[in-house]
Amino acid sequence: MPHLTDLYRTACLLLRDRHEAEDLIQDTYLEAWKSFHRFVMGTNCRAWLFKIMFHRLHHVRRRLVKTSRVVTIDDPDGQVELAAEPVVPQEIRDEDVLNALARVAVEFRDIVLLADVEEFSYKEIAETLRIPLGTVMSRLSRGRKLLRQELAEVARSYGIDPRPKQAGAAETA
Amino acid sequence: MNTLSFDSKRCERIRLQLDSYLSNELLVETAIEIVRHLESCEACSRDLESRMRVRDALQRAVAKQPVPDSVRAGVLRKLRESQPRSLPSTTGRRWAVGLAAIAFLLFSLFAGEWLSLRRSEQLIASILKLGVSDHLICAIKGHNYPEVANPPDQIRNKLGVRYAVLLQVVQERLPGFEVLEGHICSIPGSNRKYIHFITRGQGTILSVILTERNGTNLPKGQLLASPESAGLSIYEGHHSGMEIAGFESAQYFAFVVSDLSQNQVLQLARGLAPALNEKLHVTGHIFMPSANDGVADS
Repeated sequence: MPHLTDLYRTACLLLRDRHEAEDLIQDTYLEAWKSFHRFVMGTNCRAWLFKIMFHRLHHVRRRLVKTSRVVTIDDPDGQVELAAEPVVPQEIRDEDVLNALARVAVEFRDIVLLADVEEFSYKEIAETLRIPLGTVMSRLSRGRKLLRQELAEVARSYGIDPRPKQAGAAETA
Repeated sequence: MNTLSFDSKRCERIRLQLDSYLSNELLVETAIEIVRHLESCEACSRDLESRMRVRDALQRAVAKQPVPDSVRAGVLRKLRESQPRSLPSTTGRRWAVGLAAIAFLLFSLFAGEWLSLRRSEQLIASILKLGVSDHLICAIKGHNYPEVANPPDQIRNKLGVRYAVLLQVVQERLPGFEVLEGHICSIPGSNRKYIHFITRGQGTILSVILTERNGTNLPKGQLLASPESAGLSIYEGHHSGMEIAGFESAQYFAFVVSDLSQNQVLQLARGLAPALNEKLHVTGHIFMPSANDGVADS
């Protein structure tokens, strides 16, 4: 079955519930099956399936809204804060990465997964999530930064100082 | 000891674009500007490295997540259950389910094969892009070659004993081209090393570039490569206004890159590939695959 693995892993990370993820995948393939006549041969089948999944996911999230946390996107421009850029640890455990990702708000988590794991282009992500290209860019930037901050917190919990080295005058040998 | 100046406004502007750089969404010109900045800014290089490390760690972590068999079984069950229930007979229902299963299987096979082909094409493009990037950054933008060809001994010295033997092959197998320069270089922000020959001929600059495969293979398939040359499949591509032809040897990818026509570049690659492959085969047996000597940033 095409792309089942990618879709399921993404669904698990987005919903944080294996059973909800399985239901979502079943609904996704059922909808793909029913609307297969709308699939244009030669276009990206994987992107098409992800688009269907995120459309279904939207409904699932509305159902689960009472238990999800409310997120405010307060940094649409993805401001750069040079001094505050956290340094992530050199060695990162898988478990730490996934836990850190889980703490990133869903709006940003969606895009980080689509861009960095599934390696979709900005255009494909914009079409999948039905949002403007500029929003994809700003949310990806913010999402990546939030993930780095979460991982810097992990480093701190291990007793590693995550503060960036002084950038005022870099020296080379 | 050199102290690099730190231009915070410039760094801020570059860092605003690092996410798009990481996602390969920038125009080549902008990407080159960023690479140039990274060459001289340790802070921004460190920032990029940190971002790449997080992305790689995330990809690895997600890829290790198990997918239980029940997921596939659940999807198939759902599809079966969705078949119309008002069919008059059990036989009719079975036919419908059977046809649905066959149709879905065909869809799966087609889509899987198609995706496999697309992924292979993407992998080839990303491998060929290695050669284009080094050609553009080192030879074209960096202009790391003299107007009068460096003496062969000087080039051999730069290449080191491991790769000096390749100079003769490039000289002999590229008729009408003069080898101006040969060295080992790397692109800022990457640890990858390139054995780089810069040649001039037919009114333009042409690079012959080799880099270690590190276990990566070019995908196989008749649809993906041009006809073989002495047992070697030549892969071709077009990127950033450059034509590129590449092939893989036992331990290396080799590329011919230029702004000549596709046919010309392919023809030159076909002439070069067998001899280069043979020499690399010998080189690979003599030396362990680790190109660290004489490395210079592009």
